[in-house]
Amino acid sequence: MADMTKKKDMSPKLNRTGWIFVLPSIILIVAFVFYPMVQALITSFQSGAGNNLSFSGLSNYKRLLTDTTFRKALSNTVLYLVVQVPIMILLALAISSMLNNKRLKFKGLFRTAIFLPCVTSLVAYSIVFKSLFATDGFVNAMLVKLNIIAEPISWITDPVWAKVLIIVAITWRWTGYNMVFYLSGLQGIDDSIYEAAEIDGAGAFQKFKSITLPMLKPIILFTTINSTIGTLQLFDEPMNITQGGPANATITISQYIYNILFKYSSDFGYAAAVSYVVVIMIVVLSFIQLKVGDKNE
Amino acid sequence: MKKKRVLALLLASVMTLGLAACGSSDDSKKESKKDDNKLTIWAWDEAFNIKAANVAADMYKEDHSDAEIEVVTMAQDDIVAKLNTSLSSQSYDGLPDIVLIEDYRIQGYLNAYEDEFADLSDIAKPEDFAAYKTGVNQKDGKMYGIPFDSGVAAVFYRTDYIEQAGYTKEDMQNLTWDKYIEIGKAVKEKTGKAMLTLDPSDIGQIRMMMQSAGTWYTDEDGKVNIAGNQGLKDAINTYKKLVDAGITETVSDWDQFVGAFNSGDVATVPTGCWISPSVLGAEDQSGKWAIAPFPKMAENADSVNASSIGGGWYVLKNVGNEDLAKDFLKETFASNVDLMNQLATDINLVSTLKAASSAENYSKGVEFYGGQEIFKDFAAWTNEVPTVNYGENTYEIEDLMTEVVQAILGGADIDKTLEEYQTQIESVVAN
Repeated sequence: MADMTKKKDMSPKLNRTGWIFVLPSIILIVAFVFYPMVQALITSFQSGAGNNLSFSGLSNYKRLLTDTTFRKALSNTVLYLVVQVPIMILLALAISSMLNNKRLKFKGLFRTAIFLPCVTSLVAYSIVFKSLFATDGFVNAMLVKLNIIAEPISWITDPVWAKVLIIVAITWRWTGYNMVFYLSGLQGIDDSIYEAAEIDGAGAFQKFKSITLPMLKPIILFTTINSTIGTLQLFDEPMNITQGGPANATITISQYIYNILFKYSSDFGYAAAVSYVVVIMIVVLSFIQLKVGDKNE
Repeated sequence: MKKKRVLALLLASVMTLGLAACGSSDDSKKESKKDDNKLTIWAWDEAFNIKAANVAADMYKEDHSDAEIEVVTMAQDDIVAKLNTSLSSQSYDGLPDIVLIEDYRIQGYLNAYEDEFADLSDIAKPEDFAAYKTGVNQKDGKMYGIPFDSGVAAVFYRTDYIEQAGYTKEDMQNLTWDKYIEIGKAVKEKTGKAMLTLDPSDIGQIRMMMQSAGTWYTDEDGKVNIAGNQGLKDAINTYKKLVDAGITETVSDWDQFVGAFNSGDVATVPTGCWISPSVLGAEDQSGKWAIAPFPKMAENADSVNASSIGGGWYVLKNVGNEDLAKDFLKETFASNVDLMNQLATDINLVSTLKAASSAENYSKGVEFYGGQEIFKDFAAWTNEVPTVNYGENTYEIEDLMTEVVQAILGGADIDKTLEEYQTQIESVVAN
């Protein structure tokens, strides 16, 4: 009991100094994160062109239900997510365990080369990709010369190939980024565990499956959530490589929001409503991933 | 203790920095107001609009030596995005005094940001310009823009390819799209070249065909007019015929579009007359080009050999130099026949200023086009362009229409698809 009272006496003073220290960051976060979030929520219940907004209840959310472009953007985004994230995670895992090999020479060179794409400017690399994959571009010329394809592929103007191109581009850019996380994770795994496994007669794949994967689980979870969020917010690549075309075949939700705001006569209310859908999706997906990740522990 | 003090100091300085950042916009606004002899103009297309603005600026400076005019080249998409963000947040830092806006977009702007645009009724009269250009830049009887290029549509074509295919210049006159496709097939067969380029994300061809029949995505009251719109239906069918005939080459952006005709990959370029300076860019092809009127749709009785695709100049009221900007426009694009005369030679501008038709250069032939008197032709076609109401949402509708076109090209039923999208587009426009 005496202990409790003592604590009570001490804590307000401690708290006050504590609060003063965190106050600046709280003010900044409230001003630049929470306030815009609330404001966006309010805006999502309004409609009108430009600044002539008026309260319109749920009309924006109702419009979402019948909006075919939104549905298209959503299904594109989900497609990128479902196809691209697993490919990239597996690739990053494979590359990082290869690079972690003690006997590998020029390790630094390989690491740098694979990590380098993610420090390039998003816009710059998109434009390079666009010219590489143009109908008369380098990639088509190579593929035709090597007799892999007979006719040049219309990477940018064909609805299916355009999606493939976007997936190739984001995989190129982000695999190295994820690889770095895995590499640092791998270096945290004690060699003696592998040695013990080797003595027990485990092969390379078994070691990967039974030691590397479980030990890396928290990192894999982290990168998966990060990549999921990143893909849901995907914007630069479709914007710069395909402009969302042909005929909205590669449009993503973020780009649709951009179009509503900046390409068309701006409708802030509807754009806010669409962005809230993204927020909800990210929250739900991250929650599921965390739950799934927890279960096996 | 010392550490704490350092930390507190740091935090304090961070906060003042934050405050400083909040206050900065006021300071710079004052700064920009100080410079009241400086005008900034934003436009796109180096070969055409920018050149025009620069020529106008030079002419204006002859009489007003103290004026300073900066012409900034910016992609049209960037101009649109910047105007949208800045006008909605009412921060006028770095915005131009004068800006070029496409006819399709201006009604949307005037509706959303009417207070931001200066009323130009006192410096120009709608009667001075071609009728189809002045409907879009007015709101509630006030004129907000100075119409610029006529944007009259035409078919630029390679005479050598057409002749190799066994046709003559006469065949290109009063074209129907059916005849155009017939010639296209012959060109493809004889020369291996495509007849025209198409961009699946930009269906300008359908817009032009549709306007040639006097219809638009929206009717005269601005209501969505998709389902049962015969002009639109015919246009989409014609577009499908073009694709099915195998005489098209697909491009995905402006550079590829220009590259295709500059390198001689296509025989014709059906688009607005502002493309002329880009066609002239390939100097080695001088004398090989000619210009024919825009084809009409034979199956549509309303369709004429004329259409349009162009823009105009607008003044932003709250940026700072409204009066100077108005004076500039008044003495240049709103009245100056000499300027139009000069621009006719420099960029082949077809002005919508009625008085410009008396300009001397308008009766001269252009060597690049085999001596053809292109201005006389353009002016004649300009007079025939049907007036339509572009409404406020051309690009919202257009993005959906690209989907419609792709679906119909893929074999979907045209009536049913248009019906479906009518509802969809109505919900877009309703907001």
